[in-house]
Amino acid sequence: MKFMALIRQIPDAQSQIKISGGKVDLSGNTLIIDQMDEYGVEEIIRLKEAQGGEAVVVAFGPERTQEAVRHALSMGADRAILITAEGYVDPVSQAPVLAKVIAEEAPDLVFAGGQEADWDSQALGAVVAEALGWPLVSWASEIELENGKAKVRHDLDSGSEYVRVTLPAVITTQQGLNEPRYPTLPNIMKAKKKEIKKLAASDLGLTENKVQISEQAIQEKARLGKFITAGDDPAAAARKLVELLHEEAKVI
Amino acid sequence: MYLVYVDHDGNKIRSGTLEVITRARQLQLAKPGPISGLVLGQNVSAVAEEAAGYLDRVYVVDSADFVNYVAEAWVAAAKAAWEASGAQVFLAPASRTGRTWTARLAARLGAALLEDTLNSAFEGDRVKAQKYSYLNRVTETQLAALPLVLTVKPNTTPLAEPAGEGEIIPLSVTLGDLERRVEVLEKAQEEAKRVPLTEAKVVVSGGRGLGGPENFHWVEELADLLGGAVGASRVAVDSGWRPHDEQVGQTGKTVQPDVYIAVGISGAVQHQAGMNKSKLIVPINKDPEAPIFKIADYGIIGDINQVLPPLIEEVKKLKD
Repeated sequence: MKFMALIRQIPDAQSQIKISGGKVDLSGNTLIIDQMDEYGVEEIIRLKEAQGGEAVVVAFGPERTQEAVRHALSMGADRAILITAEGYVDPVSQAPVLAKVIAEEAPDLVFAGGQEADWDSQALGAVVAEALGWPLVSWASEIELENGKAKVRHDLDSGSEYVRVTLPAVITTQQGLNEPRYPTLPNIMKAKKKEIKKLAASDLGLTENKVQISEQAIQEKARLGKFITAGDDPAAAARKLVELLHEEAKVI
Repeated sequence: MYLVYVDHDGNKIRSGTLEVITRARQLQLAKPGPISGLVLGQNVSAVAEEAAGYLDRVYVVDSADFVNYVAEAWVAAAKAAWEASGAQVFLAPASRTGRTWTARLAARLGAALLEDTLNSAFEGDRVKAQKYSYLNRVTETQLAALPLVLTVKPNTTPLAEPAGEGEIIPLSVTLGDLERRVEVLEKAQEEAKRVPLTEAKVVVSGGRGLGGPENFHWVEELADLLGGAVGASRVAVDSGWRPHDEQVGQTGKTVQPDVYIAVGISGAVQHQAGMNKSKLIVPINKDPEAPIFKIADYGIIGDINQVLPPLIEEVKKLKD
């Protein structure tokens, strides 16, 4: 079987975001594979180890995304395809480009991250599934393959359920799906020899964005910072807090 | 012109939908046109009637096919209603499932998608909307032309008031092969009895400082007294103390309640990504150096075990 994971490169959560000229400037940021996408990479490696077949990574983003691709290959993915595109591309505009590459590869399962830590989008898996005409299961936390189908546990808005989906299918990841492995030194060495095929999104029919970003800004809310130290009298601190929330903030 | 997805619990419209209707009315001021609604489910005539009190037309698909959520079925029904209503803008609450299937809908309609918006208004022929990005740290302005699918972040918009008496129009949707490729089996974890986390006005979250799952009853009791939802930090979820659907943060849900009470949560960047836009942030933590205090409004520096019991008593007194 062939298993595929879609990945993107994003700024590390620990690194501060800067704005210059009304746009996010990532020049000083540490850039890493999106954690939600990493769950997908781990899952395709595990599925390949259990079922045999191939684990392929498809990345979308600027040239620098290659580092995230190397990370996925060091984890144990077999090979990668990097679709290069500069700047923001909205998910609906990305979908046909990704679908073209995926359809050609004809995998049995495609994983996409449940949400993106840069664009805060949750759309990619859904729009790719639509462009492929495949079923979609979102927010998966458990997957079991059975005769051309997959039994998947996934989250709803509240609670979770099991579904059975016919393959090929697109699945979006949820924390808890697995614990991504750290690349080992031998695997990092091996990854250097693995193939990364590069394709330009513009050659794959990427057209104009359907969504334009006109401005980005950091708006931090001024906070009150009124704290009570409990010390020896926690009951008094509790009373004071309830009083503040009730009488001053009027929220309870 | 406008088509609103009416989210409901089987009996009543969820509050997120009333925010969505307000957004449709705001857009309607600049570009007039009818506001239609779409109700999906089985035996949902009460929901349809309630919705008709807010909308010009309500399309209702009343069928056993719409008891369990399957993204493809929802998209098929929304496309049928889109065509029947002649809409150019589709609006829905930005719940997790809502954001998933509406993205698929946008791709099917060839429409632009504006996700999880904080506000929205016409600017010329395009719609301008703001949303958060970069883990809730950046506020960005997006623009998109029609046709458009737009989701509304909960707790951003006033609730609509009833107006008029709309027409209820039954719609029949025949599902094809694609819609039947996902079969819903059994529940793995029942829906929480409380208000959904992303819609809650009050969220009480617990983390490592609680020391174990046995102490979460305090968090639950406080949430119930305040009519809120229960959240959890990544540590609490990874340790198996709480289910995944309660997790707040980078790899969990993003919430924006009126009050976010963080019990025993230090507030790493990854957690802040899920709650830093809450109107009031109220930590209870024994470590005054915990990063959560840097973004907090009120709070107690103290031992949770000693603070929570009297705090719950005080809230109870207030309720009496």
